[in-house]
Amino acid sequence: MKKAITAIIAVAIIALMALGYADAAHHSAHQGEASEVNPQEIIFDHLGDAYGWEVPFNHSKRIPLPVIVRAQDDKWHVFMSSHLEHGEQYDGFQIAKGGDYNNKVVQVLPDGSQYRPIDLSITKNVAGIIIAALLVLLMVFKVRNWYKKNGLKAPRRFTAALELVVDFVYTDTIRPIMGKEAPKYAPYLLTAFFFILTMNLLGLIVIFPGGANLTGNLAVTAVLALLTFLVTNFTGTKHYWKEIFWPEVPKALKLPVPLMQIIELFGIFTKPIALMIRLFANMMGGHMVVIVFMLLIFIFGSMFNTVVGGVMTPISVFLSLFMLLLDVLVSFIQAYVFTILSTMFISMAHVHEHHDEAPAGDAD
Amino acid sequence: MELFKPEFGLAFWMFISFLCLFGILAKWAWPFIIKSMEERADLIDKGVAYAQEAKSNLDNAKAEADKLIAEAHAQQADILREATKMRNELIEKARSDAADEAKKVSEAAQVSLEQSRKEAEKQLRAEVGDLALQIAEKVIRRNIASDDAQKALVDQYLSEVETKN
Repeated sequence: MKKAITAIIAVAIIALMALGYADAAHHSAHQGEASEVNPQEIIFDHLGDAYGWEVPFNHSKRIPLPVIVRAQDDKWHVFMSSHLEHGEQYDGFQIAKGGDYNNKVVQVLPDGSQYRPIDLSITKNVAGIIIAALLVLLMVFKVRNWYKKNGLKAPRRFTAALELVVDFVYTDTIRPIMGKEAPKYAPYLLTAFFFILTMNLLGLIVIFPGGANLTGNLAVTAVLALLTFLVTNFTGTKHYWKEIFWPEVPKALKLPVPLMQIIELFGIFTKPIALMIRLFANMMGGHMVVIVFMLLIFIFGSMFNTVVGGVMTPISVFLSLFMLLLDVLVSFIQAYVFTILSTMFISMAHVHEHHDEAPAGDAD
Repeated sequence: MELFKPEFGLAFWMFISFLCLFGILAKWAWPFIIKSMEERADLIDKGVAYAQEAKSNLDNAKAEADKLIAEAHAQQADILREATKMRNELIEKARSDAADEAKKVSEAAQVSLEQSRKEAEKQLRAEVGDLALQIAEKVIRRNIASDDAQKALVDQYLSEVETKN
Protein backbone atom coordinates (compact mmCIF):
# COMPACT_ATOMS: atom_id res chain seq x y z
CA MET A 1 0.00 0.00 0.00
CA LYS A 2 2.76 2.43 1.00
CA LYS A 3 4.73 1.47 -2.06
CA ALA A 4 1.78 2.14 -4.31
CA ILE A 5 1.30 5.60 -2.80
CA THR A 6 4.99 6.40 -3.29
CA ALA A 7 4.84 5.27 -6.89
CA ILE A 8 1.75 7.39 -7.58
CA ILE A 9 3.33 10.47 -6.02
CA ALA A 10 6.53 9.93 -8.01
CA VAL A 11 4.63 9.62 -11.26
CA ALA A 12 2.61 12.73 -10.43
CA ILE A 13 5.73 14.75 -9.72
CA ILE A 14 7.35 13.64 -12.96
CA ALA A 15 4.19 14.47 -14.88
CA LEU A 16 4.16 17.90 -13.27
CA MET A 17 7.76 18.38 -14.37
CA ALA A 18 6.82 17.72 -17.96
CA LEU A 19 3.85 20.09 -17.67
CA GLY A 20 6.06 22.72 -16.09
CA TYR A 21 8.50 22.50 -18.94
CA ALA A 22 5.75 22.70 -21.55
CA ASP A 23 4.25 25.71 -19.79
CA ALA A 24 7.58 27.50 -19.56
CA ALA A 25 8.34 26.84 -23.22
CA HIS A 26 4.88 28.09 -24.16
CA HIS A 27 5.38 31.32 -22.21
CA SER A 28 8.81 32.05 -23.57
CA ALA A 29 7.59 31.39 -27.08
CA HIS A 30 4.75 33.86 -26.57
CA GLN A 31 6.97 36.53 -25.15
CA GLY A 32 9.34 36.09 -28.05
CA GLU A 33 12.31 35.29 -25.80
CA ALA A 34 15.25 33.73 -27.47
CA SER A 35 14.73 30.12 -26.45
CA GLU A 36 17.93 29.14 -28.15
CA VAL A 37 19.91 26.95 -25.76
CA ASN A 38 23.65 26.91 -25.89
CA PRO A 39 24.61 23.64 -24.12
CA GLN A 40 28.32 24.31 -24.16
CA GLU A 41 27.94 27.66 -22.48
CA ILE A 42 25.62 26.24 -19.84
CA ILE A 43 27.90 23.33 -19.10
CA PHE A 44 31.02 25.43 -18.70
CA ASP A 45 29.10 28.03 -16.78
CA HIS A 46 28.06 25.37 -14.29
CA LEU A 47 31.41 23.66 -14.08
CA GLY A 48 33.46 26.84 -13.99
CA ASP A 49 34.15 29.39 -11.34
CA ALA A 50 32.17 32.58 -10.73
CA TYR A 51 32.51 35.77 -8.72
CA GLY A 52 29.12 35.40 -7.07
CA TRP A 53 27.16 32.42 -5.88
CA GLU A 54 23.87 31.91 -7.68
CA VAL A 55 20.76 31.28 -5.59
CA PRO A 56 18.03 28.84 -6.61
CA PHE A 57 15.09 30.01 -8.79
CA ASN A 58 16.74 33.30 -9.58
CA HIS A 59 18.93 34.12 -12.55
CA SER A 60 19.85 37.68 -11.74
CA LYS A 61 20.57 37.74 -8.01
CA ARG A 62 23.76 36.26 -6.72
CA ILE A 63 25.32 36.04 -3.29
CA PRO A 64 28.08 38.65 -3.44
CA LEU A 65 31.60 37.53 -2.64
CA PRO A 66 34.71 39.66 -2.14
CA VAL A 67 36.91 40.38 -5.14
CA ILE A 68 40.57 40.83 -4.28
CA VAL A 69 42.77 41.96 -7.16
CA ARG A 70 46.12 43.63 -7.56
CA ALA A 71 45.95 46.28 -10.23
CA GLN A 72 48.68 47.07 -12.68
CA ASP A 73 50.05 49.77 -10.35
CA ASP A 74 50.64 47.18 -7.58
CA LYS A 75 47.71 48.43 -5.50
CA TRP A 76 45.31 45.94 -4.00
CA HIS A 77 41.64 46.49 -4.60
CA VAL A 78 38.98 44.79 -2.49
CA PHE A 79 35.28 45.11 -3.24
CA MET A 80 32.17 42.99 -3.42
CA SER A 81 31.35 41.13 -6.58
CA SER A 82 27.86 42.69 -6.60
CA HIS A 83 29.50 45.79 -8.09
CA LEU A 84 30.47 43.86 -11.18
CA GLU A 85 27.12 42.29 -11.94
CA HIS A 86 25.63 42.57 -15.43
CA GLY A 87 28.88 43.76 -16.96
CA GLU A 88 29.14 46.87 -14.80
CA GLN A 89 32.48 48.50 -14.31
CA TYR A 90 33.77 49.31 -10.85
CA ASP A 91 37.02 50.99 -9.96
CA GLY A 92 38.27 50.25 -13.44
CA PHE A 93 37.51 46.56 -13.15
CA GLN A 94 34.94 44.48 -14.94
CA ILE A 95 34.21 40.89 -15.78
CA ALA A 96 35.43 40.15 -19.28
CA LYS A 97 33.08 38.55 -21.76
CA GLY A 98 34.74 36.45 -24.38
CA GLY A 99 38.38 36.66 -25.29
CA ASP A 100 41.28 35.19 -23.34
CA TYR A 101 39.90 36.16 -19.94
CA ASN A 102 36.31 35.07 -20.39
CA ASN A 103 34.35 35.42 -17.10
CA LYS A 104 37.40 36.72 -15.24
CA VAL A 105 37.92 40.10 -13.63
CA VAL A 106 40.05 42.33 -15.81
CA GLN A 107 41.29 45.87 -15.40
CA VAL A 108 40.31 48.12 -18.25
CA LEU A 109 43.31 50.26 -19.00
CA PRO A 110 42.92 53.84 -20.20
CA ASP A 111 43.83 52.81 -23.72
CA GLY A 112 40.91 50.36 -23.71
CA SER A 113 42.99 47.20 -23.55
CA GLN A 114 42.36 44.58 -20.87
CA TYR A 115 44.86 43.73 -18.16
CA ARG A 116 44.44 40.58 -16.11
CA PRO A 117 45.39 41.49 -12.56
CA ILE A 118 46.70 39.07 -9.94
CA ASP A 119 43.40 37.70 -8.74
CA LEU A 120 43.05 36.38 -5.19
CA SER A 121 39.30 36.85 -5.09
CA ILE A 122 37.13 34.76 -2.86
CA THR A 123 35.29 33.27 -5.79
CA LYS A 124 32.49 30.74 -5.63
CA ASN A 125 35.04 27.91 -5.66
CA VAL A 126 37.20 29.50 -2.97
CA ALA A 127 34.14 30.03 -0.81
CA GLY A 128 33.21 26.41 -1.47
CA ILE A 129 36.67 25.27 -0.39
CA ILE A 130 36.41 27.29 2.81
CA ILE A 131 32.96 25.86 3.54
CA ALA A 132 34.26 22.35 2.89
CA ALA A 133 37.24 22.96 5.16
CA LEU A 134 34.98 24.22 7.93
CA LEU A 135 32.71 21.21 7.52
CA VAL A 136 35.65 18.85 7.75
CA LEU A 137 36.85 20.71 10.82
CA LEU A 138 33.42 20.38 12.38
CA MET A 139 33.09 16.68 11.59
CA VAL A 140 36.55 15.68 12.74
CA PHE A 141 36.26 17.67 15.94
CA LYS A 142 32.92 15.98 16.55
CA VAL A 143 34.69 12.63 16.64
CA ARG A 144 37.57 14.01 18.70
CA ASN A 145 35.23 15.63 21.21
CA TRP A 146 33.33 12.40 21.56
CA TYR A 147 36.50 10.64 22.63
CA LYS A 148 37.47 13.54 24.87
CA LYS A 149 34.12 13.45 26.60
CA ASN A 150 33.17 9.79 26.59
CA GLY A 151 36.50 8.06 26.78
CA LEU A 152 36.51 4.82 24.87
CA LYS A 153 32.76 4.35 24.66
CA ALA A 154 31.49 3.59 21.18
CA PRO A 155 30.07 6.70 19.47
CA ARG A 156 26.50 6.88 18.23
CA ARG A 157 24.69 8.13 15.14
CA PHE A 158 26.59 10.52 12.86
CA THR A 159 29.73 10.40 14.96
CA ALA A 160 29.71 6.63 14.64
CA ALA A 161 29.42 6.90 10.85
CA LEU A 162 32.35 9.32 10.77
CA GLU A 163 34.37 7.09 13.01
CA LEU A 164 33.60 4.16 10.76
CA VAL A 165 35.05 6.06 7.81
CA VAL A 166 38.12 7.11 9.80
CA ASP A 167 38.56 3.51 10.86
CA PHE A 168 38.10 2.29 7.29
CA VAL A 169 40.71 4.69 5.94
CA TYR A 170 43.19 4.45 8.78
CA THR A 171 42.98 0.90 10.09
CA ASP A 172 42.17 -0.84 6.84
CA THR A 173 44.21 1.21 4.42
CA ILE A 174 46.92 3.42 5.84
CA ARG A 175 48.15 1.14 8.59
CA PRO A 176 48.49 -2.04 6.51
CA ILE A 177 50.44 -0.13 3.86
CA MET A 178 52.63 2.07 6.04
CA GLY A 179 53.03 -0.13 9.08
CA LYS A 180 54.98 1.55 11.85
CA GLU A 181 55.08 4.90 10.05
CA ALA A 182 51.29 5.11 9.81
CA PRO A 183 50.67 7.46 12.75
CA LYS A 184 53.20 9.93 11.34
CA TYR A 185 51.58 10.31 7.92
CA ALA A 186 47.98 9.50 8.84
CA PRO A 187 47.08 13.14 9.67
CA TYR A 188 47.99 14.29 6.16
CA LEU A 189 46.29 11.35 4.46
CA LEU A 190 43.15 11.51 6.59
CA THR A 191 42.89 15.26 6.10
CA ALA A 192 43.26 14.81 2.36
CA PHE A 193 40.64 12.05 2.33
CA PHE A 194 38.04 13.96 4.30
CA PHE A 195 38.69 17.21 2.48
CA ILE A 196 38.34 15.56 -0.92
CA LEU A 197 35.28 13.58 0.13
CA THR A 198 33.56 16.66 1.52
CA MET A 199 34.38 18.71 -1.57
CA ASN A 200 33.15 15.91 -3.84
CA LEU A 201 29.87 15.56 -1.99
CA LEU A 202 29.35 19.32 -1.67
CA GLY A 203 29.75 19.56 -5.42
CA LEU A 204 26.78 17.23 -5.85
CA ILE A 205 24.40 19.41 -3.84
CA VAL A 206 22.96 21.72 -6.44
CA ILE A 207 22.19 24.74 -4.28
CA PHE A 208 24.20 26.89 -1.90
CA PRO A 209 26.33 25.87 0.09
CA GLY A 210 26.96 23.16 -2.49
CA GLY A 211 27.11 23.32 -6.22
CA ALA A 212 30.67 24.52 -6.58
CA ASN A 213 32.54 22.13 -8.83
CA LEU A 214 35.58 21.95 -6.57
CA THR A 215 37.36 18.68 -7.20
CA GLY A 216 36.36 18.92 -10.84
CA ASN A 217 38.68 21.90 -11.08
CA LEU A 218 42.25 21.38 -12.14
CA ALA A 219 43.64 24.01 -9.73
CA VAL A 220 42.22 22.22 -6.71
CA THR A 221 43.38 18.74 -7.70
CA ALA A 222 46.75 20.17 -8.73
CA VAL A 223 47.29 21.54 -5.22
CA LEU A 224 46.32 18.21 -3.68
CA ALA A 225 48.64 16.33 -6.00
CA LEU A 226 51.40 18.84 -5.34
CA LEU A 227 51.09 18.25 -1.61
CA THR A 228 51.39 14.51 -2.08
CA PHE A 229 54.36 15.13 -4.36
CA LEU A 230 56.05 17.30 -1.73
CA VAL A 231 55.40 14.85 1.09
CA THR A 232 56.62 11.94 -1.03
CA ASN A 233 59.86 13.53 -2.13
CA PHE A 234 60.77 15.48 0.97
CA THR A 235 60.41 12.48 3.24
CA GLY A 236 61.97 10.01 0.80
CA THR A 237 64.82 7.95 2.19
CA LYS A 238 68.33 7.80 0.81
CA HIS A 239 67.51 4.46 -0.70
CA TYR A 240 64.57 5.94 -2.59
CA TRP A 241 66.85 8.46 -4.28
CA LYS A 242 69.45 5.81 -4.88
CA GLU A 243 66.90 3.70 -6.73
CA ILE A 244 66.11 6.67 -8.91
CA PHE A 245 69.65 7.72 -9.76
CA TRP A 246 71.40 4.36 -9.55
CA PRO A 247 68.79 1.60 -9.84
CA GLU A 248 69.78 -2.04 -9.67
CA VAL A 249 69.70 -2.81 -13.36
CA PRO A 250 72.36 -3.85 -15.87
CA LYS A 251 74.96 -1.12 -16.24
CA ALA A 252 74.32 -0.69 -19.94
CA LEU A 253 70.92 0.72 -19.14
CA LYS A 254 72.31 3.51 -16.99
CA LEU A 255 75.80 4.38 -18.00
CA PRO A 256 76.54 6.02 -21.27
CA VAL A 257 72.93 6.96 -21.77
CA PRO A 258 71.11 7.47 -18.43
CA LEU A 259 68.01 5.70 -19.68
CA MET A 260 66.76 4.36 -16.36
CA GLN A 261 67.42 7.61 -14.57
CA ILE A 262 65.31 9.48 -17.08
CA ILE A 263 62.48 6.99 -16.74
CA GLU A 264 62.63 7.09 -12.95
CA LEU A 265 62.76 10.88 -12.85
CA PHE A 266 59.82 10.98 -15.18
CA GLY A 267 58.03 8.60 -12.84
CA ILE A 268 58.40 11.02 -9.92
CA PHE A 269 56.26 13.50 -11.80
CA THR A 270 53.82 11.19 -13.51
CA LYS A 271 52.57 9.81 -10.20
CA PRO A 272 51.16 13.08 -8.82
CA ILE A 273 50.02 14.15 -12.28
CA ALA A 274 48.04 10.93 -12.55
CA LEU A 275 46.52 11.68 -9.15
CA MET A 276 45.59 15.17 -10.29
CA ILE A 277 44.06 14.11 -13.60
CA ARG A 278 42.21 11.13 -12.17
CA LEU A 279 40.35 13.08 -9.52
CA PHE A 280 39.70 16.01 -11.83
CA ALA A 281 38.43 13.94 -14.75
CA ASN A 282 36.22 11.70 -12.65
CA MET A 283 34.50 14.50 -10.81
CA MET A 284 34.21 16.84 -13.77
CA GLY A 285 32.95 14.01 -15.96
CA GLY A 286 30.27 13.12 -13.46
CA HIS A 287 29.07 16.71 -13.20
CA MET A 288 29.12 17.13 -16.94
CA VAL A 289 27.05 14.03 -17.57
CA VAL A 290 24.44 15.13 -15.05
CA ILE A 291 24.14 18.53 -16.70
CA VAL A 292 24.06 17.03 -20.19
CA PHE A 293 21.22 14.71 -19.20
CA MET A 294 19.34 17.70 -17.84
CA LEU A 295 20.03 19.71 -20.98
CA LEU A 296 18.65 16.92 -23.15
CA ILE A 297 15.21 18.32 -22.32
CA PHE A 298 16.01 21.65 -23.89
CA ILE A 299 18.03 20.23 -26.75
CA PHE A 300 15.18 17.94 -27.73
CA GLY A 301 12.69 20.73 -27.14
CA SER A 302 14.47 23.06 -29.51
CA MET A 303 15.30 20.38 -32.05
CA PHE A 304 11.77 19.02 -32.37
CA ASN A 305 8.97 20.63 -30.40
CA THR A 306 7.66 21.29 -26.92
CA VAL A 307 5.93 17.93 -26.66
CA VAL A 308 9.15 16.01 -27.25
CA GLY A 309 10.84 18.18 -24.62
CA GLY A 310 8.03 17.45 -22.21
CA VAL A 311 8.25 13.72 -22.79
CA MET A 312 11.99 13.92 -22.41
CA THR A 313 11.68 15.56 -18.98
CA PRO A 314 10.96 12.46 -16.85
CA ILE A 315 13.59 10.46 -18.72
CA SER A 316 16.18 13.19 -18.22
CA VAL A 317 15.33 13.63 -14.57
CA PHE A 318 15.58 9.91 -14.01
CA LEU A 319 18.92 9.67 -15.80
CA SER A 320 20.31 12.69 -13.93
CA LEU A 321 19.17 11.26 -10.64
CA PHE A 322 20.81 7.99 -11.49
CA MET A 323 24.04 9.77 -12.41
CA LEU A 324 23.95 11.83 -9.23
CA LEU A 325 23.57 8.71 -7.14
CA LEU A 326 26.40 7.12 -9.05
CA ASP A 327 28.44 10.26 -8.38
CA VAL A 328 27.91 9.82 -4.65
CA LEU A 329 29.63 6.47 -5.00
CA VAL A 330 32.29 7.95 -7.28
CA SER A 331 32.88 10.73 -4.74
CA PHE A 332 33.74 8.23 -2.10
CA ILE A 333 35.75 6.00 -4.42
CA GLN A 334 37.81 8.85 -5.82
CA ALA A 335 38.56 10.28 -2.39
CA TYR A 336 39.58 6.80 -1.32
CA VAL A 337 41.65 6.18 -4.43
CA PHE A 338 43.47 9.47 -3.98
CA THR A 339 44.23 8.57 -0.38
CA ILE A 340 45.33 5.00 -1.03
CA LEU A 341 47.56 6.04 -3.94
CA SER A 342 49.10 8.85 -1.89
CA THR A 343 49.70 6.35 0.88
CA MET A 344 51.40 3.98 -1.51
CA PHE A 345 53.54 6.70 -3.11
CA ILE A 346 54.67 7.94 0.28
CA SER A 347 55.37 4.46 1.59
CA MET A 348 57.23 3.59 -1.61
CA ALA A 349 59.52 6.55 -0.97
CA HIS A 350 60.35 5.04 2.41
CA VAL A 351 62.10 1.95 1.11
CA HIS A 352 65.08 0.71 3.00
CA GLU A 353 67.83 -1.58 1.82
CA HIS A 354 66.09 -4.88 1.27
CA HIS A 355 69.11 -7.18 1.56
CA ASP A 356 67.62 -8.64 4.71
CA GLU A 357 64.81 -10.15 2.68
CA ALA A 358 67.05 -12.20 0.41
CA PRO A 359 68.30 -14.98 2.72
CA ALA A 360 64.91 -15.62 4.28
CA GLY A 361 63.34 -16.58 0.96
CA ASP A 362 59.87 -16.90 2.46
CA ALA A 363 58.66 -13.56 1.18
CA ASP A 364 57.21 -15.19 -1.87
CA MET B 1 38.70 25.91 -22.35
CA GLU B 2 38.78 27.76 -19.10
CA LEU B 3 38.31 24.54 -17.17
CA PHE B 4 41.73 23.22 -18.10
CA LYS B 5 43.67 26.34 -17.12
CA PRO B 6 44.34 26.20 -13.39
CA GLU B 7 43.52 29.54 -11.83
CA PHE B 8 46.28 30.89 -9.62
CA GLY B 9 43.94 32.50 -7.10
CA LEU B 10 42.01 29.29 -6.61
CA ALA B 11 45.17 27.22 -6.21
CA PHE B 12 46.50 29.78 -3.74
CA TRP B 13 43.39 29.66 -1.56
CA MET B 14 43.18 25.90 -1.86
CA PHE B 15 46.77 25.65 -0.66
CA ILE B 16 46.15 28.00 2.27
CA SER B 17 42.89 26.26 3.22
CA PHE B 18 44.43 22.83 3.08
CA LEU B 19 47.43 23.86 5.15
CA CYS B 20 45.23 25.52 7.78
CA LEU B 21 42.95 22.51 7.93
CA PHE B 22 45.88 20.14 8.06
CA GLY B 23 47.63 22.21 10.74
CA ILE B 24 44.61 22.32 13.00
CA LEU B 25 43.60 18.69 12.53
CA ALA B 26 47.13 17.32 12.74
CA LYS B 27 47.78 19.18 15.97
CA TRP B 28 44.54 18.75 17.85
CA ALA B 29 42.39 16.09 16.25
CA TRP B 30 43.96 13.24 14.28
CA PRO B 31 46.61 12.00 16.72
CA PHE B 32 44.07 11.98 19.51
CA ILE B 33 41.45 10.19 17.41
CA ILE B 34 43.94 7.60 16.17
CA LYS B 35 45.26 7.03 19.66
CA SER B 36 41.77 6.64 21.08
CA MET B 37 40.72 4.30 18.29
CA GLU B 38 43.76 2.10 18.78
CA GLU B 39 43.30 2.10 22.51
CA ARG B 40 39.72 1.06 22.07
CA ALA B 41 40.67 -1.66 19.61
CA ASP B 42 43.17 -2.96 22.19
CA LEU B 43 40.54 -2.76 24.88
CA ILE B 44 38.08 -4.71 22.78
CA ASP B 45 40.70 -7.32 21.91
CA LYS B 46 41.57 -7.68 25.56
CA GLY B 47 37.90 -7.91 26.46
CA VAL B 48 37.37 -10.66 23.92
CA ALA B 49 40.40 -12.58 25.16
CA TYR B 50 39.22 -12.13 28.73
CA ALA B 51 35.72 -13.32 27.87
CA GLN B 52 37.10 -16.37 26.09
CA GLU B 53 39.29 -17.19 29.06
CA ALA B 54 36.41 -16.69 31.43
CA LYS B 55 34.25 -18.94 29.30
CA SER B 56 36.82 -21.70 29.22
CA ASN B 57 37.28 -21.31 32.99
CA LEU B 58 33.56 -21.54 33.46
CA ASP B 59 33.40 -24.63 31.27
CA ASN B 60 36.18 -26.22 33.32
CA ALA B 61 34.44 -25.33 36.54
CA LYS B 62 31.24 -26.85 35.28
CA ALA B 63 33.00 -30.06 34.32
CA GLU B 64 34.67 -30.16 37.70
CA ALA B 65 31.40 -29.59 39.48
CA ASP B 66 29.79 -32.34 37.43
CA LYS B 67 32.61 -34.67 38.37
CA LEU B 68 32.24 -33.81 42.05
CA ILE B 69 28.52 -34.36 41.92
CA ALA B 70 28.98 -37.71 40.22
CA GLU B 71 31.50 -38.71 42.88
CA ALA B 72 29.15 -37.65 45.62
CA HIS B 73 26.37 -39.67 44.04
CA ALA B 74 28.57 -42.73 43.92
CA GLN B 75 29.57 -42.25 47.53
CA GLN B 76 25.98 -41.78 48.55
CA ALA B 77 24.99 -44.99 46.80
CA ASP B 78 27.84 -46.83 48.52
CA ILE B 79 26.85 -45.53 51.90
CA LEU B 80 23.24 -46.44 51.33
CA ARG B 81 24.14 -49.94 50.26
CA GLU B 82 26.37 -50.34 53.30
CA ALA B 83 23.64 -49.08 55.58
CA THR B 84 21.09 -51.49 54.13
CA LYS B 85 23.48 -54.36 54.59
CA MET B 86 24.20 -53.35 58.14
CA ARG B 87 20.53 -52.98 58.97
CA ASN B 88 19.74 -56.37 57.55
CA GLU B 89 22.56 -57.90 59.52
CA LEU B 90 21.38 -56.20 62.69
CA ILE B 91 17.83 -57.37 62.22
CA GLU B 92 19.01 -60.87 61.48
CA LYS B 93 21.18 -60.90 64.55
CA ALA B 94 18.45 -59.52 66.75
CA ARG B 95 16.06 -62.10 65.46
CA SER B 96 18.42 -65.01 66.11
CA ASP B 97 19.29 -63.63 69.55
CA ALA B 98 15.64 -63.33 70.39
CA ALA B 99 14.99 -66.88 69.21
CA ASP B 100 17.86 -68.19 71.35
CA GLU B 101 16.60 -66.33 74.37
CA ALA B 102 13.07 -67.59 73.87
CA LYS B 103 14.34 -71.12 73.59
CA LYS B 104 16.33 -70.74 76.79
CA VAL B 105 13.39 -69.24 78.62
CA SER B 106 11.01 -71.99 77.51
CA GLU B 107 13.50 -74.65 78.45
CA ALA B 108 13.92 -73.14 81.89
CA ALA B 109 10.15 -72.95 82.24
CA GLN B 110 9.80 -76.62 81.32
CA VAL B 111 12.44 -77.57 83.82
CA SER B 112 10.77 -75.65 86.61
CA LEU B 113 7.36 -77.00 85.58
CA GLU B 114 8.66 -80.52 85.73
CA GLN B 115 10.19 -79.85 89.09
CA SER B 116 7.04 -78.35 90.53
CA ARG B 117 4.98 -81.20 89.15
CA LYS B 118 7.27 -83.69 90.76
CA GLU B 119 7.13 -81.82 94.02
CA ALA B 120 3.35 -81.64 93.88
CA GLU B 121 3.22 -85.32 93.15
CA LYS B 122 5.49 -86.01 96.09
CA GLN B 123 3.39 -83.83 98.34
CA LEU B 124 0.16 -85.39 97.12
CA ARG B 125 1.52 -88.84 97.71
CA ALA B 126 2.58 -87.92 101.21
CA GLU B 127 -0.78 -86.42 101.98
CA VAL B 128 -2.74 -89.30 100.51
CA GLY B 129 -0.63 -91.63 102.62
CA ASP B 130 -1.30 -89.54 105.69
CA LEU B 131 -5.05 -89.56 105.00
CA ALA B 132 -5.12 -93.24 104.37
CA LEU B 133 -3.27 -93.77 107.60
CA GLN B 134 -5.75 -91.54 109.51
CA ILE B 135 -8.76 -93.28 107.95
CA ALA B 136 -7.39 -96.65 108.74
CA GLU B 137 -6.66 -95.62 112.30
CA LYS B 138 -10.23 -94.37 112.77
CA VAL B 139 -11.71 -97.52 111.18
CA ILE B 140 -9.75 -99.70 113.52
CA ARG B 141 -10.64 -97.56 116.60
CA ARG B 142 -14.49 -97.74 116.20
CA ASN B 143 -14.99 -101.50 115.53
CA ILE B 144 -17.28 -101.41 112.76
CA ALA B 145 -20.84 -102.90 113.69
CA SER B 146 -23.03 -102.86 110.65
CA ASP B 147 -22.76 -102.42 106.93
CA ASP B 148 -24.76 -99.27 107.14
CA ALA B 149 -22.70 -98.07 109.91
CA GLN B 150 -19.63 -98.93 107.86
CA LYS B 151 -20.93 -97.12 104.81
CA ALA B 152 -21.76 -94.09 106.85
CA LEU B 153 -18.37 -94.25 108.35
CA VAL B 154 -16.69 -94.36 104.97
CA ASP B 155 -18.82 -91.49 103.81
CA GLN B 156 -17.94 -89.63 106.89
CA TYR B 157 -14.28 -90.18 106.36
CA LEU B 158 -14.41 -89.29 102.75
CA SER B 159 -16.12 -86.03 103.39
CA GLU B 160 -13.64 -85.48 106.12
CA VAL B 161 -10.90 -86.00 103.56
CA GLU B 162 -12.67 -83.74 101.15
CA THR B 163 -13.04 -80.95 103.62
CA LYS B 164 -9.45 -81.42 104.59
CA ASN B 165 -8.41 -81.06 101.10
